[in-house]
Order: sequence, then C-alpha cells, then structure tokens
Amino acid sequence: MEANLILEGFKFMGLGMGTVFIFLIIMIISMSFMSSFINKFFPEAHVSAAAPVKKNNNKIIAAVIGAITQHKQG
Amino acid sequence: MKLFILKLLALFMFFSFTNVLANDNGSANVSLETHKEENYKVKPFSEMITGFLASTGVNAILHPDPDELSSDGKPMSNFHKSWGRVLMILLTFFLFWLAIKKGFEPLLLLPIAFGGLLANIPVAGIAGDHGFLGVIYGMGLSNEMFPIIIFMGVGAMTDFGPLLSNPKTALLGGAAQFGIFGTLVGAVALSQFGFVDFTLQQASAISIIGGADGPTSIFIATKLAPELLGAIAVASYSYMAMVPIIQPPIMKALTSDTERRIKMTTLRHVSRLEKLVFPVMVLTLAIMVLPESTPLIGAFMFGNFLKESGVVERLNDTLQNSLINTVTIFLGLGVGSKLAADQFLVPDTMFIMALGIVAFSVGTASGVIMAKIMNLFPGNKINPLIGSAGVSAVPMAARVSNKVGMEYDRTNMLLMHAMGPNVAGVIGSAVAAGVLISLFQ
Repeated sequence: MEANLILEGFKFMGLGMGTVFIFLIIMIISMSFMSSFINKFFPEAHVSAAAPVKKNNNKIIAAVIGAITQHKQG
Repeated sequence: MKLFILKLLALFMFFSFTNVLANDNGSANVSLETHKEENYKVKPFSEMITGFLASTGVNAILHPDPDELSSDGKPMSNFHKSWGRVLMILLTFFLFWLAIKKGFEPLLLLPIAFGGLLANIPVAGIAGDHGFLGVIYGMGLSNEMFPIIIFMGVGAMTDFGPLLSNPKTALLGGAAQFGIFGTLVGAVALSQFGFVDFTLQQASAISIIGGADGPTSIFIATKLAPELLGAIAVASYSYMAMVPIIQPPIMKALTSDTERRIKMTTLRHVSRLEKLVFPVMVLTLAIMVLPESTPLIGAFMFGNFLKESGVVERLNDTLQNSLINTVTIFLGLGVGSKLAADQFLVPDTMFIMALGIVAFSVGTASGVIMAKIMNLFPGNKINPLIGSAGVSAVPMAARVSNKVGMEYDRTNMLLMHAMGPNVAGVIGSAVAAGVLISLFQ
C-alpha cells in the first residue's frame, strides 16, 4: 500500500508533464501556423499606410524648402 | 380667494402641529412605563470592573477559554489559543518588515500579513464565520472566485508578443512545470517515510507552489486542500518575492560562460491580428485537450482578449487597475484569515515551506536544462538564462534572466526574450493545475 504512493506520484508526474508538453507543442504548432497564415493573407495594413504619410511629409518639406529658396531669390 | 386658501392652509398646519406634539407626549409616557433592560443586570461597580478585566485580550491569552472553538468549529489546544497567537502576531510583524523594508511582493504580502494579524486576535473572532475576514473568505476564496478575477487582470496585463515571435520558447515554460511534479513525488515520498502525513490531494496542492503562480496556487489549494491554504499562499508569495535571490545561483551553476553570453536573434514584429487570435486559439486548445483548466485559462484569455481587441479600453483599464487592486485587497485579507495560529503553527507548515523552495529550485533548474537541450538541435540558439523564466512569476523571473545576462555582457538584452517562456509558464502551470484537478474528479 505504502509503496504505491510514490508510484502514484510518478504516475501523476508522467501524466502531468506529458499533458503540459503535448499542450504546449500543439500550441506552438498552431501558433506558427496561425502566424504564417495571418501574415500571408492578412498582412498588417499600417506598414503600407505609414509610407504615404512619410511621402506627404517629404512633399510638404520640399514645398517649404522651395518656397523659402524662391523667397530668398526674389 | 387667495386669502381664504392661505387661512385654510394655516389652520391645517396649526392642527397637524398640535397633533404631533400630543402624540409625542403620549408615546414618551408609554415608553417610560414599559422600559425594561433585558440583557443587562444591575451590578456593583467592582463586579463591573472584574467582568471587564475578564474580557480583555491579556486575560484571554493568559487564561485561554476552555470552550473556545477555532474558526472552523474544531477544538483547539491551549497553546494555539494563547502563546501561539502571540507568536503568530510576531510573525506577521516579521512579514510586515519583509514587505516594507525588503520590498517582498508588498502588494500581496501586506494584506496577507495584516489579515494574519487580525485573524489571531483572541475573543473578537474576526476570522470566524461572522467576522469580516471569515465573510471575505466565504465571499471569494472558498468558491475560488478571487484567484479567477486576478487571472483576468493578469491576462489584461500580459503581452503575448514575445511568445508569438519566438514560439519554441514556450517549451521552456513547459519544462519548468517539472518543479510542480518533482515536488509532488517528493511530498508523497516524505509521507511514505513517515515524516509527515500528506494525502495525495495535499501533496498536489503543495507542489503547485512550484508553478510560481500565486493565483493558481490559491485556486488549487482551496479546491484540493483548503486547510493548507494559509501556508501554501504564504510560501508561494514569499518565494515569488525571493526569485531574485533563489534563481541566480542555480542559473549560474548550470550554465557555462559562453552559454551565458549567447545573443539571441531580434524578435520579429507581431501583427495585431495575431495577438487578437492567439487568446481565442489557446482557449480553443484548452477546451479540446483539458476542459478542467479552462476556468483559469478562460479568465486569463478573457482579460488578454479585451486588451488586444483595442475597442474596450475602459474595461481593459478596469481589469488592469481598479478591479485587480480591489480583489487583491480581499484576496490578501482572505488568505490572511488562514494564518490563525491553530492552522499555521503545525508541523506541516515547515514541510510546506521546505517543499516550496525545492519546487522553485527544481522548476528553475529544469527550465535552464531544457534550454540547453534545445540548443543541441539545429536552429537559432537560445540563451539558457531565459530558461529560468519558465517558472511563471511574471515579470520578476524574466527580469532576473535579463539581469544575470547583463552581468556577463552589458549589451545582451534578454528581457523580451525571457518574456516568452515567462508567459508560457503561466499557461503551463494552468494546464498542470487542470491535470491535477482532473485527477481528483
């Protein structure tokens, strides 16, 4: 009876660690799958959205510089 | 016409006023005649003084009441009624010192210690069924409500980005759960060799300290072994606070100098949609694999989902701040109610404290060893120092990894890398908790 107790503990350990690892491995696989799926079909929009803002800024800066040089020349 | 109405009104007021006066007189007379004290006997002054002295705390400690029962209605030994309480009150003073002077998890240790102080007051029975600590305990601890709410708040504070950008570090969070099950075997072995008498339920509740996750420990302890709750919660939170002292020697002993200097590749950017899908995905997995773990994982992912949705900023803010703070106060006081002398000053407590530190150390060591094993395989190398962050203790354990890494290379920032195993450790210990609960169903 008493020897069973430690054996019981090891059984708990096997089942517990097994479940934890299986769960995490499934989680890792589905995580990688989910990430590649999302990045392929729903790439984040704000990367492309950020570019025009930058462009606009450049245009404005160019316009300002142009105006200043024109003003200085004139 | 107006005048008439005014006169009428004045007349009416006059009569009603005199009526009230008459009524008052009448009722006062009646009460004077019938006034009787039911619970008070007229006594000479000297007797009043001796009676009052008998009700003082000093007397209760020097001459314990033989009929007094503990908060759960069991008879107590004289030691637990008298000097045991004094000892416990001194112990709570020590906990105050740890929390305030040493900064050991003061947010929880202070409410717990003060709850313990209140629970050890003789006569008042604050931790009893009708005392306010007892009411708090019944309100949210005996039904596992408070740990769940804390989990929601923790979920709202957690960022899964580092884990999503380097998924394989989740394995480190799994390996650290070895601390739980290794300690379980240890606790069971102790009972077998007759040092102490723990049932399997009690051994499981104790070993969950190795998960280094306060709410999970409390959740499991109230479910499997409520009589050990005080000791388990105190062990769990004090060791979590001592993570910066316990972990570094183990981490250094198990790694070589070159390993500690490994630089990890920069984390990729994680899109918002990934972060939004992740909580639902993990919950779905938990539903399929282990429904017993869903109260914890469900609450955790609920908080995280609210945060990542980005449209309920007010709810997210409440979860992260006011709600978790409110519940922390109640949780601390409720746990403190279990620090009553008759429940804490037992030999079991010593073993729980010892097993708790073993659980922490084994968890830390197995996380580090797992990282070394993973480095044997091809692919991006992992700095084994982040393995120790696999025990949950968010974000303390990750900070420790970062700090130890910086000791060897000032430019090596491990913090974000260590957050991956750190949050995976929370999921891992929730799964381990689910397994333990399912075994006793």
